[in-house]
Amino acid sequence: MYATTYAKAKDVADAVSQLKGADEGKLLAGGQTLIPTLKQRLASSDCLIDLSDAGLSGISDEGGSIRIGAMTRHVEVETSEMVKKAIPALAALASGIGDRQVRNCGTIGGSVANNDPSACYPSALLALGATVHTDRRDIAAGDYFTGMFETALDEDEVITAVSFPKPEAASYVKFPNPASRYAMVGVFVAKTSSGVAVAVTGAGQDGVFRHGGLEAALNSSFSAESIDSVAVDDSVLMSDMHASADYRAHLITQMTKRAVAAC
Amino acid sequence: MPEGTMNQGIGASVRRKEDKKFITGKGRYTDDINRNGQLYAYFIRSDVAHANIKNINVNAAAKCEGVVAVYTGEDIAADGIGGPICGWTPTNRDGSAPKEPPHPLLAVGKVRYVGDHIAVVIAESLEAAQAASEKIVIDLDNLPAVVDPATAIGNTQIHDEMDDNVYFDWELGDETATADALGGADKVIELTVTNNRVIPNAIEPRAAVAEYDEIEDRYTLYTSSQNPHLTRLVMAAFMMQIPESKLHVVAPDVGGGFGSKIYIYPEEAVCTWAAKKLRKPVKWTADRTQAFLGDAHGRDHVNKVKLGLDKNNKIVGLRVDTIANLGAYLSAFSMVTPTYLHGTLLSGCYDIPAIYTNVKGVCTTTVNVDAYRGAGRPEATYLLERTMDYAARQIGMDPAEFRRINFIPKDAFPYQTAVALQYDIGDYEPALDKAMEMIDYANFGSRQAEAAKRGKYRGIGLSSYIEACGIAPSAVVGTLGARVGLYESAVVRVDPTGTISVFTGAHSHGQGHDTTFAQIVADKLGVPIDSIDIVHGDTDRIPFGMGTYGSRSLAVGGTAISKAVDKVIEKGKIIAAHMMEAAETDLEFKDGKFTVAGTDKEKSFGEIALSAYVPHNFPHDRLEPGLEETAFYDPLNFTYPAGTHICEVEIDPATGVVDIVDWAACDDFGNLINPMIVEGQVHGGIAQGVGQALLENAHYNEDGQLLTASYMDYCMPRADNLPSLKIDYTVTACTHNDLGVKGCGEAGAIASPPAVINAIVDALSVVGVTDMSMPATTEKIWRAINDATAKAAE
Amino acid sequence: MELKQSQDIPIPVAQVWSALNDEQILAQAIPGCQELTKISDTELTATVKLKVGPVSATFVGEVTLSELNPPHSYVISGSGKGGVAGGATGSARVDLEAIDNGNATRLTYDVDASVTGKIAQLGSRLIESTAKKLATKFFTDFIAILSPESEQS
Ligand SMILES: Cc1cc2nc3c(=O)[nH]c(=O)nc-3n(C[C@H](O)[C@H](O)[C@H](O)COP(=O)(O)OP(=O)(O)OC[C@H]3O[C@@H](n4cnc5c(N)ncnc54)[C@H](O)[C@@H]3O)c2cc1C
Repeated sequence: MYATTYAKAKDVADAVSQLKGADEGKLLAGGQTLIPTLKQRLASSDCLIDLSDAGLSGISDEGGSIRIGAMTRHVEVETSEMVKKAIPALAALASGIGDRQVRNCGTIGGSVANNDPSACYPSALLALGATVHTDRRDIAAGDYFTGMFETALDEDEVITAVSFPKPEAASYVKFPNPASRYAMVGVFVAKTSSGVAVAVTGAGQDGVFRHGGLEAALNSSFSAESIDSVAVDDSVLMSDMHASADYRAHLITQMTKRAVAAC
Repeated sequence: MPEGTMNQGIGASVRRKEDKKFITGKGRYTDDINRNGQLYAYFIRSDVAHANIKNINVNAAAKCEGVVAVYTGEDIAADGIGGPICGWTPTNRDGSAPKEPPHPLLAVGKVRYVGDHIAVVIAESLEAAQAASEKIVIDLDNLPAVVDPATAIGNTQIHDEMDDNVYFDWELGDETATADALGGADKVIELTVTNNRVIPNAIEPRAAVAEYDEIEDRYTLYTSSQNPHLTRLVMAAFMMQIPESKLHVVAPDVGGGFGSKIYIYPEEAVCTWAAKKLRKPVKWTADRTQAFLGDAHGRDHVNKVKLGLDKNNKIVGLRVDTIANLGAYLSAFSMVTPTYLHGTLLSGCYDIPAIYTNVKGVCTTTVNVDAYRGAGRPEATYLLERTMDYAARQIGMDPAEFRRINFIPKDAFPYQTAVALQYDIGDYEPALDKAMEMIDYANFGSRQAEAAKRGKYRGIGLSSYIEACGIAPSAVVGTLGARVGLYESAVVRVDPTGTISVFTGAHSHGQGHDTTFAQIVADKLGVPIDSIDIVHGDTDRIPFGMGTYGSRSLAVGGTAISKAVDKVIEKGKIIAAHMMEAAETDLEFKDGKFTVAGTDKEKSFGEIALSAYVPHNFPHDRLEPGLEETAFYDPLNFTYPAGTHICEVEIDPATGVVDIVDWAACDDFGNLINPMIVEGQVHGGIAQGVGQALLENAHYNEDGQLLTASYMDYCMPRADNLPSLKIDYTVTACTHNDLGVKGCGEAGAIASPPAVINAIVDALSVVGVTDMSMPATTEKIWRAINDATAKAAE
Repeated sequence: MELKQSQDIPIPVAQVWSALNDEQILAQAIPGCQELTKISDTELTATVKLKVGPVSATFVGEVTLSELNPPHSYVISGSGKGGVAGGATGSARVDLEAIDNGNATRLTYDVDASVTGKIAQLGSRLIESTAKKLATKFFTDFIAILSPESEQS
């Protein structure tokens, strides 16, 4: 790790001003991604701004949606009665992230800011049509994820919360990478008043994406069989030593079926 | 047995004495050791697999803040420091010696694998050393990488000393007799069997803290090692060229090794050398990626197998041609692993009249490959048990039955194999029967049918293995090219108050010696195990030792302890005879008491211990004070644990996911000292074998880059990859050691991979799949199902 | 990693060719390029800063143009060292074909990339996607710079 300084932000405004004041300031949430990277010396920062006391954690029911503060740990989403009741698929998703230690530290804000192409949360945001709240604006999930590890956030923008509209039904099924247990393919299927959404993580070369073909088939008939005839184009999918693109394409179909069956 | 020792002796599942400190985080590992004024070493490693070094410029690094020294291979060479050596070399089939190209501690002229050591920065802090290392400018001229062992021979030359990349070309068995047997066979089964490359992954990465005492002119090295005496021997005699007595090696608590900590690596040697040069302690600890890159990997064999059967399906001959990837440099046991620990095991549990094997050990631009849990024996077992299964399928015979008719019969022991070993004792059918019963083999068909209804393919796979453990009789290994003897030593020191310290040359790094060894002593002396301390891992305290590997600690080290205890008892009898004024020949020792036969006279062990140190009226011409004995034990033969493991799997054809649903293991380890510890060893071994069969793979790309250098990509087995394991035993006691024990540390890892793959092939046989390589990843399985289905449709 | 793609550009081959040899245009198109200095007609030195998720690395190295067959094809290759992150090399064979009666050009590129060190050891899952993304970005930006609208602006 390169030498750095560390400070706790009092609140969001403080975090933003510290970030603006630093050369290469970095927000520290659960540290599950950032700290290992710093330790490997693959990133450096002159100032780590810890958000843990910035008043950003907590889950609230806003009527039509559930609002989850950026610093809410995965374990809190996993065990929240409110989430389990309103969007059980989201609690289940959180329960499948990493191991207990990771879930005790990792946060939804960190995960969404990072937008790892294999992370679980982004698929939930996209399929449920969530809104990302920041210190300066609200961004619809559809506009937020702009590519692998890329988001619509400005350099010095801080996520404050994510709001998830309550779906009629939803389910997340993940086929884990055997080593890291991140998603090798993760499919989030949501049924809302505006139709069915299918978001895929772990598989796209450009990160999380929605699959129009699967959605169309499911909108016409919401059943596992209805997607049998849907072709999943593997030319836009990731290929690595764990899974080639065509296998990922096959898994997308399989995981979608399972998610539909579980809805 | 006196009170307090009940259920603590041989055969009792005593809780592990050492666990309290480990599970409460109080273990003291090398990295926990800090010396005053210590410096930190950081090694700069090659990023590329193969290159000529044009220039290394360390000037900027040397000027960095906190940097004390920067060394390259030239500095090491200038001081005449040697590199790691090979401890056991086979002879080539043409009678010549194998090639042993030098392995400089820091590269000279060339780098030969990703991770090869180029330079070391030594600084006042690790951060300073790391920061400075980024300032070193290395100018390399890249050469082609050589990764695949199958095409390594005659490929781009890696060492000047070797124009064809072949370290050795070795054979065993009778080639002509085998050719004749195969020629006359009713059928010959042919199969190519690849044993994938795996990375040991001890939970504690390697580490070293070295210091030099100017006044004593003596070095102390704390290091994470399985055999501190071997480290001392190699480092003193071959690397540093200093008197052995001037090097004190301590292996404190060690968090696992699986073979990878047998060897002596450049880092600990460089730290030791630099500690004197700089007159300050030098510390180094590997991080996880360095462990992936630098620790010796395991396995990596490609075998072409031919198995001949007569018309009754009895095996008549076996030929195996093996290419073993040994990596860029020769590590200590790298040459013996694929030869004498592999070729000699090719008879398995079977009566095979003619066997011939040729093994070529090849050099590639990958890190060294050496012994890994089982060392050679898992590779032999895998190719044999895969071939047995494949053959049974080809001839349409039940695989259990095919094994049974080929087993060495019970009355054939001692049995001389066609590949040098003589098995002293064994009985393979009862283990097979018991394992089949444990898993309800007879009703497998109904379970398979039920699974099919749920859309799952269910399969069952057997593996009947044998291993040669208790390594090893020095006289035998000496004739086979070992450069060391493989005995073990023990000192049993009885204190005046009757407490006992046992000093053993075996080394515990997870095996539970503190408990097992204490049980042997407790049982023999009739004392509570809490009064017994097991001391290991320190060359100043223990006479000598060859360390722990090859399931040798109990069979060899334990027997040495038993023999030293016998000497203590003999001496105790002399003291007791003197005290009770009886003839020595009338003395008996039982249940912790010395008694005079035919009388009610007795002295407790404690009384004798005390009088040994308070020898007020000892006849000094005949009786020395004190109660301490030493024994060195050199085994007469290897020990031969054997057994049958059966694995049952269910495969989801929609995804290729394999679920191991049941496992039965019936092993013959001879007598068991602590069944709980044995069970733990079997569990761990099976987990490691399942890891290799389903999940683990060291993946080098064609450029020689190791792509699995973190847990993001290197897949370790986890608890949820395993079912609850059914473990049981048969017992044929070893005939040639006092305890009748054989060793259990490696069996699980040896037996399990073929059981898994055989079960998978069995499950997939419904669609026509006949073979599967390790690791059987979900994608491979999915593809195999697709390919077989497409082929069937043609 | 290998990637082959082609795109049409509404300007003639000769103009595309000269842009392919113009270090100022290349500097704008190379993703993360901080500095590109011409050493000779076919050799340049470059500093490129890349960020993939939490990882950022600055690569210092050379860009070389070889197998020149004006104005039809060449190979552009880059190789750089990214400090602790490791090294990266990439090359693209670029072919230009006149289409639309010589008013436009079909540009075909065939990319090959490899990485060394920590990037390979720790980030193998991302290598292929990242290489494809960077190659695509280079050619997309290159074409955007050349296309008539941007020339006017
Ligand atoms: C062993 C392991 C297994 C894992 N498995 C999974 C898995 O299965 N599925 C999965 O989805 N994830 C998984 N993760 C990722 C983990 O769950 C975290 O979500 C992830 O590490 C990021 O969250 P964090 O809170 O740790 O963020 P940090 O590491 O602290 O930060 C990550 C990045 O986000 C930025 N950031 C953080 N908070 C904010 C904010 N409020 N506004 C703007 N930027 C911000 C930081 O500056 C940094 O760049 C795993 C991680 C580990 C270590």
